[in-house]
Amino acid sequence: MSLLSVSHLKAGYGPINVLHDVELTVEAGEIVVMLGANGAGKTTTMRAISGMIGRSGEVHFEGADIARATPDAIVRAGIAQVPQGRGTFPELNVEDNLRCGAYIRSDKEIDADIDRWFDVFPRLRERRAQRAGSLSGGEQQMLAIARALMARPKLLLCDEPSLGLAPLITQELFAVIERLNREMGLSVLLVEQNANLAMHMAHRVYLIETGRIVASGSAAELSADDSIRKAYLGF
Amino acid sequence: MKSLVTIKEGSIGHWVLRLLAAAIVVAIMLWIPTKGSNGLVTSATEALTLMSAAMALNLILGYTGQISIGHSAFYGTGAYVTGILVSKYEWSPWLTFPVAFLFAFVVGVLVSFPASRIKGVYLALVTLALALVFPNLLRWPKLESLTGGGPGIPNGDSALDTTGFNIGRRDGQMRNFEIFGWDPFGDLRGQGAIPFYYWIAAGIAVIVYLVIRGVVKSRAGRSLIAVRDNETAAAVMGVNLVATKAFAFGISAGLCALPGSVTAIRLGAVSPDIATLTILGSLTFLIIMVIGGAGSLWGPIIGAALYVFVTDRTGGWADDEAIPGVLRPFFGWSKIPPGSGIFAVILIVLMFVAPRGLVGVWKQYSPRVVRVVPRPAGVAHDAKPALVADTTTNSTPEGESE
Amino acid sequence: MALFLQRLVDGLSSGSVYALIALGLVIIYRGTGHLNFAQGEMALFAAYVVYQMGEWGLPIGIALVIGLATGFVIGAVAEVGLVRPISKKSPFAVFIVTIGLFQLLNWLSGAIWGDQVLPNSGVGSKQQQYPSLFPDQPDDFVKVFGAAIRYQSLGVLLLTLVITGLLFLLFNKTKFGLAMRAVASNAESAKLVGIRVNTVLMVSWGLAAAIGALGGVVFAGINNSVSLGLMFTVFIYGSAAATLGGFDSPGGAVIAGLAIGVIENMAAGYIGFIGQEMKLAVAFIVILVVLMVKPSGLFGTAKVERV
Ligand SMILES: Nc1ncnc2c1ncn2[C@@H]1O[C@H](COP(=O)(O)OP(=O)(O)OP(=O)(O)O)[C@@H](O)[C@H]1O
Ligand SMILES: [Mg+2]
Repeated sequence: MSLLSVSHLKAGYGPINVLHDVELTVEAGEIVVMLGANGAGKTTTMRAISGMIGRSGEVHFEGADIARATPDAIVRAGIAQVPQGRGTFPELNVEDNLRCGAYIRSDKEIDADIDRWFDVFPRLRERRAQRAGSLSGGEQQMLAIARALMARPKLLLCDEPSLGLAPLITQELFAVIERLNREMGLSVLLVEQNANLAMHMAHRVYLIETGRIVASGSAAELSADDSIRKAYLGF
Repeated sequence: MKSLVTIKEGSIGHWVLRLLAAAIVVAIMLWIPTKGSNGLVTSATEALTLMSAAMALNLILGYTGQISIGHSAFYGTGAYVTGILVSKYEWSPWLTFPVAFLFAFVVGVLVSFPASRIKGVYLALVTLALALVFPNLLRWPKLESLTGGGPGIPNGDSALDTTGFNIGRRDGQMRNFEIFGWDPFGDLRGQGAIPFYYWIAAGIAVIVYLVIRGVVKSRAGRSLIAVRDNETAAAVMGVNLVATKAFAFGISAGLCALPGSVTAIRLGAVSPDIATLTILGSLTFLIIMVIGGAGSLWGPIIGAALYVFVTDRTGGWADDEAIPGVLRPFFGWSKIPPGSGIFAVILIVLMFVAPRGLVGVWKQYSPRVVRVVPRPAGVAHDAKPALVADTTTNSTPEGESE
Repeated sequence: MALFLQRLVDGLSSGSVYALIALGLVIIYRGTGHLNFAQGEMALFAAYVVYQMGEWGLPIGIALVIGLATGFVIGAVAEVGLVRPISKKSPFAVFIVTIGLFQLLNWLSGAIWGDQVLPNSGVGSKQQQYPSLFPDQPDDFVKVFGAAIRYQSLGVLLLTLVITGLLFLLFNKTKFGLAMRAVASNAESAKLVGIRVNTVLMVSWGLAAAIGALGGVVFAGINNSVSLGLMFTVFIYGSAAATLGGFDSPGGAVIAGLAIGVIENMAAGYIGFIGQEMKLAVAFIVILVVLMVKPSGLFGTAKVERV
């Protein structure tokens, strides 16, 4: 049984339908990358999985049907999303942002977890009392990822974490994601424009085009296909 | 959408339709003072004053998107200008109309400078404060020599009715009013002044309507609408925002003063306690405008007629006996007349089902009967109502015409 | 000196009421970005409910709890039933709905309790005066430097400070407060971390209306009576306080509310020119000047847009 399996997913905004028929799966322990042009529907897919927009079709997480669940129930089920453009709480300080990430939890280990992510992102520790809105773009992205991880998710949805970041920072972030995947078995569904970087760590890749999955396979398989390589990977 | 009849804009059929509509309006307006009861004439007068004020408010709210709940202050300005000039300086009431307009225009322009920097509900807040301060200003001892303070300017010997205008207070009969020796209105039915006030109110309503129509359909009016729809774009197009808004606010305030003057003349007295001079007046204008349809020329007219009809009918309903039997269980418990409650509910419900008011409803359904096809080249000038730019808007029937 | 002290205390006590109304406005503004024009009338209705409880002979404590609960329910229902669905349409529609609510609540109060000033033995009121939260007999005061400081004034001020303190704790030390701040900051992300945004907004409106209701009850107590026009001007003062303090700053609302109360009383007292009649002009000028010069207020963040 897949960790996440999505089929016949349709979603959109009001009368406009954006996703026509999205099928994808994420196995436990996998990093899956979704590639697609601007406006292809990547963000919409993420938002549909998280329950942020109206959708129809089947979405199963650990076997349970979450296609009609509310966003908070989906977070509780174990899916956390890092939205495109970071989506931090700008007026709240770094520590409170992380506490919000743990909103669904009521255990005693929240402080320990905050410490743990401060170890992973030491720059956040230095700025723990600073308003999130005053962080740099890279720091905000770290904060957004750390906040999502505070929910102790089984699946992390990550929407274009590299957006607006210097290549070095992007690499650093990707390295962290890869490490978490290796060390804790965190499953990741990652949306990227920057195909080259993402392909390196992807176990599998989906290509999405105007609301439909048009190709999927391992990174090696897709790079081997000339037309796909030219159209999506640009080399 | 299918419609029974289709006619072209500007065609003979269209003109016939327009003339027919105008004829009906004129016929009703003539019928009321000649055949209607005194009560009806008084109600109609009330409706005409309120409608004028709501039309004036509509100019800024419906067409420029600036929210004001302070128009009762302009209305009151008109009332007091007339009251003071007539009672203290013995002016002819006729001459006070232009002065009331100009005075309120200037006040409106002054208010508009801050207003042009303050947007949306915050402007509503500022104007709400203005509406509440205004009656206090009238009571202010420093102005008492002018305004008469708390009691206002009473309807006594020294008041409005003893001067040249002789507005008909004495003996309930109007006197001394004639145009070149001819007295056209007062004795229309031998009823003294009541129809006379009606005609004054009607005249003012027509003037206000025509001025607003002129403004809205002029170049300036288009820039007003541009300001409402998109300030940045309007600025880019070279519309001078501050001047346009100041002009609109001034005209709106000035026009709103005119029905205020009518009220002063009609009551023969002014005081800070007159409801239309307080925040209640502002709310009434707003309700009339929104219910009728903000941003449409006919909205306030329909709204005022409905408003006065309902408030008149239900005005005595604090007394259970006055409530018609079937309705008694619904309204009998209320210790005050249900009018304001009814309109509050209509206002809220309308925002959900028909944010463009009754005129909006009419425009949506009337094409099923008669549809006017517009002339091809961009002459569709009728404004889309208000800031009610709801995203889920139902497709507006094309080719509408007022 | 005695007069100054007297005016200071009087100012602080009416300022407390403004602060409570402003707090309600600010909580709603932070949550949903709306200016609730019905805030004052929600408080009015609750003030009438407390009057009614007094008529029925309930002690003030219980009457107050029922009044605040009424306020809470009105606020929560207004958010869920009216404001939330209409806010999908346009800001103008929200504005009109809050105005409609203003009118509806004012009418409903009149429909139930009539348009006289209450208590009123003429219409059968059993109470001599409006239920007061604090001792309010003619001799309930202390003399300080010659000024008669009424227990009521002190109590009202103290109550406001306690409420402010409790709110501070709620916002900064509780999980629900964290959720409220998160929703105010970024509702979309709040959903993504599993906060039930709808619940938070509903409770925020309820809480705001309940705090406003407290303001209404306190003000009716100071005033010794309740009537349909009771909250009109208080709402303007409260709005002035929220504007001055910054629409997204609860602390600012309280400081500004107290300040406006004091300024207004001092101005009316010492500047003969202004007098009792033009006190309200102080609020008007504050709103106007702040919105023009510094729309975010003294303590608000620049995020506040004036649209
Ligand atoms: N809130 C919205 N309302 C209406 N349409 C929207 C909304 N958000 C996105 N869309 C439309 O949905 C389509 C897909 O958008 P989406 O954000 O999913 O693209 P994307 O693949 O994430 O693109 P990008 O790489 O630029 O982030 C686009 O055509 C977009 O215009
Ligand atoms: Mg995207």
